[in-house]
Amino acid sequence: MAAWDLSVTVEELGPEATPFKVSVTSDLHIGGVVLRIVEKTQIKKDWSDHALWWEQKQQWLLQLSWTLEKYEIHADARLRLTPQHKPLRLGLPNGTTLRLQACFSHPVFQTVIGVCRLLNMRHPEELSLLRPVEEKKKKKDTEEEVVVYDLTSLRISSGPAHTLSNGMPVHFADSPQTEAVYKMLSVSLPAPETITKTPRPTSLVDKAQVHSRWLDSSRSLLQQGVQEHDRLLLRFKYYCFHDLHPKYDAVRLTQMYEQARWAILLEDVGCTEEEMMLFAALQHHIGKVSLSEPRLMKSCPAMDDLDSALQCLEVKMDAEECSAEDMLETMTVAPELHDYLNIFRPKRLTLKGYKQFWFTFNNTSISYYKSKEESLKEPIQQMNLKGCEVVPDVSVAGQKFCIRLLIPGAQGMNEVYLRCENELQYSRWMAACRLASKGKSLADSSFSNEVQNIQSFLDMQRTTPGVKAAQTDDIINTHGLVSPRYHKKYKSKQLTPRILEAYQNVAQLPLTDALLRFLQIWQALPEFGVCYFVVRFKGCRKDEVLGVTNNRLIRIDLGTGDVVKTWRYNIMKQWNVNWDIQQVAIEFNGNVNIAFSCVTATCKIVHEYIGGYIFMATRTREQTEVLNQELFYKLTGGHEAL
Amino acid sequence: MEDIDAMFTDLLGEMDLLTQGLGYETVPSEMSSSSSQIEKNFSIGFTDLKESLNELEDHDLDALMADLGSDLTETEETLNAAKMGHVHTQQHKSGYYTPQQNVQASIPSSQISSSSSSLHPEPSEPLVAGEAEAQVKADKIKLALEKLKEAKVKKLVIKVMMSDGSSKTLMVDERQTVRDVLDNLFEKTHCDCSTDWSLCETNPELQAERGFEDHEYLVEPLSAWTRDSENKILFLLRPNKYLLFKDPQIFYLWKKHKQFVNEINGCRKELLLKENFEGPSVIVPDLEGPLYLREDGKKSWKRRYFLLRASGIYYVPKGKTKTSRDLACFIQFDKVNIYTATDYKQKYKAPTDFCFILKHPQIQKESQYIRFLCCDDELTLSLWVNSIRVAKYGATLYHNYQTAVRRALITTSTLHVTSLPVSSPPTRSTGHIATVRANEHPDQDYLSEPPPDFIPPPPPGWGSGV
Repeated sequence: MAAWDLSVTVEELGPEATPFKVSVTSDLHIGGVVLRIVEKTQIKKDWSDHALWWEQKQQWLLQLSWTLEKYEIHADARLRLTPQHKPLRLGLPNGTTLRLQACFSHPVFQTVIGVCRLLNMRHPEELSLLRPVEEKKKKKDTEEEVVVYDLTSLRISSGPAHTLSNGMPVHFADSPQTEAVYKMLSVSLPAPETITKTPRPTSLVDKAQVHSRWLDSSRSLLQQGVQEHDRLLLRFKYYCFHDLHPKYDAVRLTQMYEQARWAILLEDVGCTEEEMMLFAALQHHIGKVSLSEPRLMKSCPAMDDLDSALQCLEVKMDAEECSAEDMLETMTVAPELHDYLNIFRPKRLTLKGYKQFWFTFNNTSISYYKSKEESLKEPIQQMNLKGCEVVPDVSVAGQKFCIRLLIPGAQGMNEVYLRCENELQYSRWMAACRLASKGKSLADSSFSNEVQNIQSFLDMQRTTPGVKAAQTDDIINTHGLVSPRYHKKYKSKQLTPRILEAYQNVAQLPLTDALLRFLQIWQALPEFGVCYFVVRFKGCRKDEVLGVTNNRLIRIDLGTGDVVKTWRYNIMKQWNVNWDIQQVAIEFNGNVNIAFSCVTATCKIVHEYIGGYIFMATRTREQTEVLNQELFYKLTGGHEAL
Repeated sequence: MEDIDAMFTDLLGEMDLLTQGLGYETVPSEMSSSSSQIEKNFSIGFTDLKESLNELEDHDLDALMADLGSDLTETEETLNAAKMGHVHTQQHKSGYYTPQQNVQASIPSSQISSSSSSLHPEPSEPLVAGEAEAQVKADKIKLALEKLKEAKVKKLVIKVMMSDGSSKTLMVDERQTVRDVLDNLFEKTHCDCSTDWSLCETNPELQAERGFEDHEYLVEPLSAWTRDSENKILFLLRPNKYLLFKDPQIFYLWKKHKQFVNEINGCRKELLLKENFEGPSVIVPDLEGPLYLREDGKKSWKRRYFLLRASGIYYVPKGKTKTSRDLACFIQFDKVNIYTATDYKQKYKAPTDFCFILKHPQIQKESQYIRFLCCDDELTLSLWVNSIRVAKYGATLYHNYQTAVRRALITTSTLHVTSLPVSSPPTRSTGHIATVRANEHPDQDYLSEPPPDFIPPPPPGWGSGV
């Protein structure tokens, strides 16, 4: 067979170096070609990660046993010998940027699996890579350099991922730097301050633009024009989170929370004012707890043993506590709160003011007497606060410390004001009222915590906006907690009490529960998990919006945002893509046929979204560990997969 | 030691009082006085209990007495146990100190080493015995205290109206859920245990009623009733109770055409339930539409556009759109319950008779704090009432349903095994009830304790999995 010259550039020698000419025959296999080039370079190094890339065809030559003939490579082909894994800058949901080794030669789906394995995130199929919005190069010099955390040195051993005793994968333990990075990935950051600078989608079309930037899962990074050191975003793409387990999913849970948080702050997903306040309260709480509670320590197996041992001890102590005396004590002596306070009951046509009485707090009830001496007699009145509304009526500047109670009774709500003399008294009574309204007595362990919260709230009022007093942790920085819209609408002073009000209901949650609660409320929002695409339905003359969710397709009016129609996947018979005219056609049960072409994204992205969601629905609880990659490609790949 | 003894004597005194109180009840001739005793000892919130007890038919009273009687014997046993404990104390006191004296005595007279060494182990033995005795005593005191604590448990005697007009009287304590009471009533009435059976409260003053949810503690809502309340508790079949889970498509696909919704089969219902209730968070039906709201203090009803979300009911303010951020909150559900109302067209001049109200459970009379809402038709009313229950109770409601389904299944399978006739709704005949009660015990045991790994077979059209 005739020999001919094949020209191959070797990346290691730089772009300027003249290509090597190797003499080959058409029946030489790719492995042989690589071997000859390596010999010719006379460089001694580990070449095992290198592979040939065919410039003109934008194709990897990964089948080492295939011959040049089979790949249809001739003398005019320009090949490049290059590593398959290259450094990539990856933006995570929490805003940090990592530099790590990613696979450029296999489909993006594989790349994501690799990255997730490195970062210790389970269920990589739910994530994908997104191109960032092109940055405007105008203010080049003023732009501050984004801090990049380098993880390129990390290598994971093959085989099952080992985790250290503190829940951190072994490969992060190499250096203190990487350890610090892991901590950053698995612990949520305090509220961001830069939210006003971040561009936010305002219209459906804007939201649709985001989804046009997803990379194709069935093609490699290099094939899609991604170069070494480029920046990509790692995001949760499919909004159905399978088998979320706080113990194993420290990074996954944290990043999910961060993505949810940004979606809410940037109003990517709409919520009401009440919901926004609750999200803000949860964020505030999570920020506060994650600073104080080292979660890394909590999730490690060794500590688990200790935990269970401690629990045993607790149970034991509980049992011991139940000794006769203690039981008697709980039956007879509950902690009490008593003071002289002023009471005012607004009634129609009376102008009576506050009157002083001796008040005692017992269980969930307040009783009051003429004086302390008479407290052994029948009270003038007893009010059970269970289920009542408690509203602060406070002004630190004016030294006014009132509690407004709306106590439900058979006739309706009874309005009662209690006036306290000073801050301390107020905090204690307010805390007691709040607990009682939830049906908890003073004996509840959360009492002192509640008192502290109220005091920090009062402290906050004291700091006048002009003078920037020493900011302690307890002072809420409302800026990172609610979307910019609410900062325009309300002053920080108005927002704080509302956030704190919502905070009362979540203040006792441990960190993981708070994260899960945040995600739950996010997932219960009607707009949750809808990905928008601008499409043109067959036979229509105007653009419309197609919403893709985990269980249905939604046709939405572009102008008004109203839902026109929904189709659920479970009545879908089949779907086809005509790649030539870029049209998606779907057939549903009952002879319902729809077809549309895509305007803001390629039809591959829409096709992959639908197929991906159908793939997600095939996962079952039993086979959580095995990922059926073949099925994924089949459902999302389109013509390349076949 | 003295302290504990004193304390113990006090306790005994208290317990004596308690048993005396109960003692009256076993004497049927002193029925009226017994009722007042019940009131004293178990803080029962009914002042007209005397009358209601007088109204009772004999068999009802017997049944109630049987219930109370079992309680009484328990208390008596405790008392006996406690008394024994007391006796033990005295024995034990003397047994405790003597060995110690022995030891002290033996040390100065340490003339023979062998005798002292033989003496040493001796005192330790009675000491161990003494400790064991002390333990026994402590346990008994603990038991007695627990029983006393139990006596502090709030109990109510309630009269439940049956659908045939008769009534049953039973005692509920504050630890019993509605589910427990329903199970109790199933046994008493020997009905078919269908998931539709529910307990519901009616408020004649407001012309409103509400089905209790199975997880609620029955005593709690009843405590909100006023002394002169005319409210009643009904035991009846309410097909609406779990309609949401039996026909989820009505609620989750309400926007679709009626014909399409009717075609939904079991498998697709199952999928709807899975999607909306078995995910990480319960999805509330995305309900929205115009309702009439009764204006505060006025007699007019104003039509407004309302939307239901997991966090509450919202309305669209004037000149705004339906986007989430523009919505104004109408009410949140933490502190209110939902009641359906009857005949509001007449009572409050409502546009239709399909009304519901939202109020704090404590409120029993008309008040500005009650929200009155009115729907165009019966379907809309059902959509709102049931969807609001999902928003308020979330996954709990679904768990209640699953428990109810299991309960109904176990019963039917038991009935087949023992080939007992499926008895018709309760009858008044005393004789019939007596026979049923006699038959009841073996199968009641089975009912309350199914084998641990018993999984009921799925009902038809259920669990055929995707």
